[in-house]
Amino acid sequence: MMLDVSHRTYYQYSSPVVQSQHLIHLTPRSTERQAIRHHSLIIEPAPATRFDSVDAFGNHMAILDIELPHKEFVLHARTTVETIAPPAFDFAKTTPWDKLDGVLAPAGKPIPLDVVQYRCVSRLTTASLGIAEYAAQSFTRGRPVLQGAMDLTLRIYDEFTFDSTATDVSTPIHEVFRHRRGVCQDFAHFALACCRAMRVPARYVSGYILTRPPPGQPRLQGADASHAWISVWSPQTGWIDLDPTNGIAVSDEHVMVACGRDYEDVSPISGLLLGGGDHDVNVGVDVVPV
Amino acid sequence: MSSMVSGPDLLNAYRLSQTGGYDELLDGDGAPRRHWLPFLKELNALPEADRAARALRLDRRVRETGIAYDVFADPTLGSQQWQLDLVPIVFSSAEWRWLEAALIQRAELFDAVLNDLYGDQHLLRDGHLPPELVFSDSAYLRACQGVLPHSGGLRFYAADLARGADGQWRIIDSHAETLAGAGFALANRMVHTHVAGDLFNASNAVRLAPYFQDVQAALTQHSGRDNARIALLTPGAHHEDYFSHAYIARYLGYLLVEGADLRTRGGQVFLKTLEGLKEIDLIVRCVDGRASDPLELDPSGYDGPSGLVRTCRRSPGLVVNAIGSALVQNRALGPYLPKLAKHLLGEDLALHDAPRWWLGCEKSRRHVAERFDQLVIRKAQEGTGRPGQAALGQDTRSMSDAERDLLKREIALHGARLVAEEKIGFSKAPVYANGSLAPQPFAVRMFVARTQAGYVAMPGGLAMTIDPDRAVALSAPDGHTRDVWVLSDAEQAHHVSLWRPALETARVQRAQRVIQSRVADDLFWLGRYTERADWTMRVLRSALRRVAEDSGPEAGTVAARKCLQVLLTDDDSTAADRARIAGLDYDGLCAKLVRGGGATRTLERTMQRLYKVAHLARDRLSLEAFQTLSRFRPGDTWAASLASARPGGVLDLLDEGLASISAFNGLMHENMTRNFGWSILDMGRRLERAYNLSEAMMALFIPAPDAEEEQNSLMLLLELADSFITYRSRYRLDPMLPLVLDLLLLDDTNPRSLCYQLAAFSRQLETLPEGKQGVSLTEDRRVILALLTSIRLADIERIASEPSRATLQKLLGEQLLLLPELSDAVARHYFNLTDDALHRAHLRSESAS
Repeated sequence: MMLDVSHRTYYQYSSPVVQSQHLIHLTPRSTERQAIRHHSLIIEPAPATRFDSVDAFGNHMAILDIELPHKEFVLHARTTVETIAPPAFDFAKTTPWDKLDGVLAPAGKPIPLDVVQYRCVSRLTTASLGIAEYAAQSFTRGRPVLQGAMDLTLRIYDEFTFDSTATDVSTPIHEVFRHRRGVCQDFAHFALACCRAMRVPARYVSGYILTRPPPGQPRLQGADASHAWISVWSPQTGWIDLDPTNGIAVSDEHVMVACGRDYEDVSPISGLLLGGGDHDVNVGVDVVPV
Repeated sequence: MSSMVSGPDLLNAYRLSQTGGYDELLDGDGAPRRHWLPFLKELNALPEADRAARALRLDRRVRETGIAYDVFADPTLGSQQWQLDLVPIVFSSAEWRWLEAALIQRAELFDAVLNDLYGDQHLLRDGHLPPELVFSDSAYLRACQGVLPHSGGLRFYAADLARGADGQWRIIDSHAETLAGAGFALANRMVHTHVAGDLFNASNAVRLAPYFQDVQAALTQHSGRDNARIALLTPGAHHEDYFSHAYIARYLGYLLVEGADLRTRGGQVFLKTLEGLKEIDLIVRCVDGRASDPLELDPSGYDGPSGLVRTCRRSPGLVVNAIGSALVQNRALGPYLPKLAKHLLGEDLALHDAPRWWLGCEKSRRHVAERFDQLVIRKAQEGTGRPGQAALGQDTRSMSDAERDLLKREIALHGARLVAEEKIGFSKAPVYANGSLAPQPFAVRMFVARTQAGYVAMPGGLAMTIDPDRAVALSAPDGHTRDVWVLSDAEQAHHVSLWRPALETARVQRAQRVIQSRVADDLFWLGRYTERADWTMRVLRSALRRVAEDSGPEAGTVAARKCLQVLLTDDDSTAADRARIAGLDYDGLCAKLVRGGGATRTLERTMQRLYKVAHLARDRLSLEAFQTLSRFRPGDTWAASLASARPGGVLDLLDEGLASISAFNGLMHENMTRNFGWSILDMGRRLERAYNLSEAMMALFIPAPDAEEEQNSLMLLLELADSFITYRSRYRLDPMLPLVLDLLLLDDTNPRSLCYQLAAFSRQLETLPEGKQGVSLTEDRRVILALLTSIRLADIERIASEPSRATLQKLLGEQLLLLPELSDAVARHYFNLTDDALHRAHLRSESAS
């Protein structure tokens, strides 16, 4: 599917920011499932220096230095991307989760580190004993890994309530678990903590999702937000994306920007400001089929 | 042989308290080992009274030097104590050579491991090291992937060693993050040599200075510039290692900086100074790797400047140790080291870690489960740079069944971050206590640095007494430390000290001429608080003398009362505050000015603040100057006695306090380089003195007192301004208002006059860089000009003869209004503190779809 994505972030500060540095992940990467046809990024005020690179997870990142005093800051990323749904695969045919050790430490062959690294907990995905018990109900003995992961995805979808007032960017997952409430980012972190408690390789994906307006109503401009989900690995399929917020396996309506261990690795925009006082931020995301 | 050198007193008691296990001092037959003989002989030759006196002097010297006293910590906490024993740990040169070689091998091994893990990761890919061991370690910083191998690798390494009960040395912990407390070892040596240098020399032990010279030369070379500007990056005075950072920075002649002092731009890092941004050539990192860049690393870590990792990508050698190096501190590496040494160095591992199992490995977990009760469970990565502060680990023997069960489940879930460790015991060495020697278990930290000749080990270290029943690491809650001596085969070269390096002077001093804006702020307030302390003590002394000397009923107490009252109020005081203070009796006022809760200018608070800023600026002060202020440390005897003393006792204490302040001022005046720092300090002092004088005059003469009271007020003012003698020698008259006002307001030859303060302030301000360009005067220069002009144009005859005192009131009122503004203007212009804290803006993904 061909999609046009517009992601506009607009900061307003109550007093001038004298100087700022930002680390951004706003440029989607190309993968087997998505081809970037066009991408542009407008930054206002223009940074004095911009340093583009690829981070340790293979994502595009940029570091911006802004040295002009400013009270507004705008980043507008526009991407045209062609997405391809993964081929249909029976999750029941994947390797059991408790047999992955043998696959990931093959005798006489190099260990696939880009998979193994996602078995390990990160700061935002450290499971408590309670979370580990929750996870064990999906990953029963001998269960195929993707079947377990899909079961987990559906349980979160059924049992957790989307509530953008229940959590904020710093709410730890055990709070999310206790109240069974949160937003996509919280559900992704919780799902990752469950997978990694079972040492199932799973990574955090940030990006966008195509949303459909209610029947008979026009699409509202800028009404969407950035999205987050998880990606789980099996030897048969490679990385398969699952979306706990929507209770689905990802088809061709998701656009990945970046992946990592958790939000901290792929945060779309983070920054350090000198001055600025209070800030107000407006984000508008539009995903439109072409 | 043993009877010749050891009197019955010293060794007999020692033998009696021996309890088995390896002993450093005595061999299996109870005879002293050869390398201890020179020291024992000297120690034995000293009269017992001398030994005891030296132990006390060590204690005092440790406190005066300020070792391990955290400036913001509660000084009454036991954990803050730092004790240095009269008896060092002595190493024979043969044993030292073996240990040095083993430590160097370990540094080389860790260097190779780091280069691989932050490079191609063959060790992980090919199964030499479990990948999950590394990936679970929060000290593994992915942002530094590909950067560290170009950085020059591991430049500093420190190891905590213990000799087990079996006589084998083992490494119990490794430190690769920072200088790991090398400053404590150096300070201990300085203190010990001061008190027992004769014993040191008689033992022919090796000096530390050549090691630090090599380190200094290597860092200069690494920076790529002969006159490099090298900064030691510390988390700041709140950090428990701050003493060590400040001490070593001072010793090596490096700038002591904090994250907020620095700013990155492209491939460069700059220091914010009074003169604007100055490029830094090399950063000696004493902050945690994870906390050294809030932009790319831990977003809550502000100990380094934002963008430092990006800067290192462009200039990999900029930071030592390279960010990310703490990865080799992981205790779980221990069991893999023998194979890694073979694989990477082609050598057998000389010095092993304490026996350990990584609990991320299924096989180890099973093994550990079988002997659970004999092992201690610890975190794999702890990262304590400070000697003696390691966590004890969880001893399973002392656990209930429920706790044990919980721990087992924790291990199953988070084993990748845990290790199990066997207790190996600790050998014992003598400490001096109650007139004799007693065997005490110990561990020792040793230091390695890369120099131009490769790795070298510091011929010394830091030993600490250990509680063998609880500890597996260098954890020493009582802070009982010992110097470490390495005996030499060769004659020792003459004493080389880095405090006043001869050849490198030019370079070192150039670096020191740079003043960070933050340090300038501290120095400014140091000037203000020393002067405020001085003034407050003078007011109290004069006030108390007036009642103590009993010179007639009420004589002078009315005037003194006014001065006390005005010091207890400020702009923030409410009407109720003022009424409460007006209601206090004379003794109550004095007591409140010493330590009245609520008031901002009590002596107690001023002393606390004085001590705090002195501590913050201590790398700019000579040790002697800092020591003169040690009396004012909160909780120390002077402050405590002042709080509880009777009036007569208070007078004695005030005399002592005033003597310390003038000693401090004298030392600063004599010894401080006349650079920007000096100007700032002096400006702070002048400003405070001008304010206090104006305030006292206002209190004493407005409204106009009657004739008798005017006499008393003039006497008091001359006393407070230390100008009585000047007045008497000049006029040989009783104090008269016009003459006193002339002397204290206008006379710019009197170093206590208001005019003199303002003129001096103005002169110092002129020496500072203008900073902002422009035709018009900067705000600070405008204000001081207004103040000075108003005083210089004052007509004293008229002021003094005016019954309403309106002109004097206006004149002083202007000073009291504009002096605080002047202080703020200088701060805005030079210290740049407003809005100087970085903060973070965050967004989150919220899509519900």
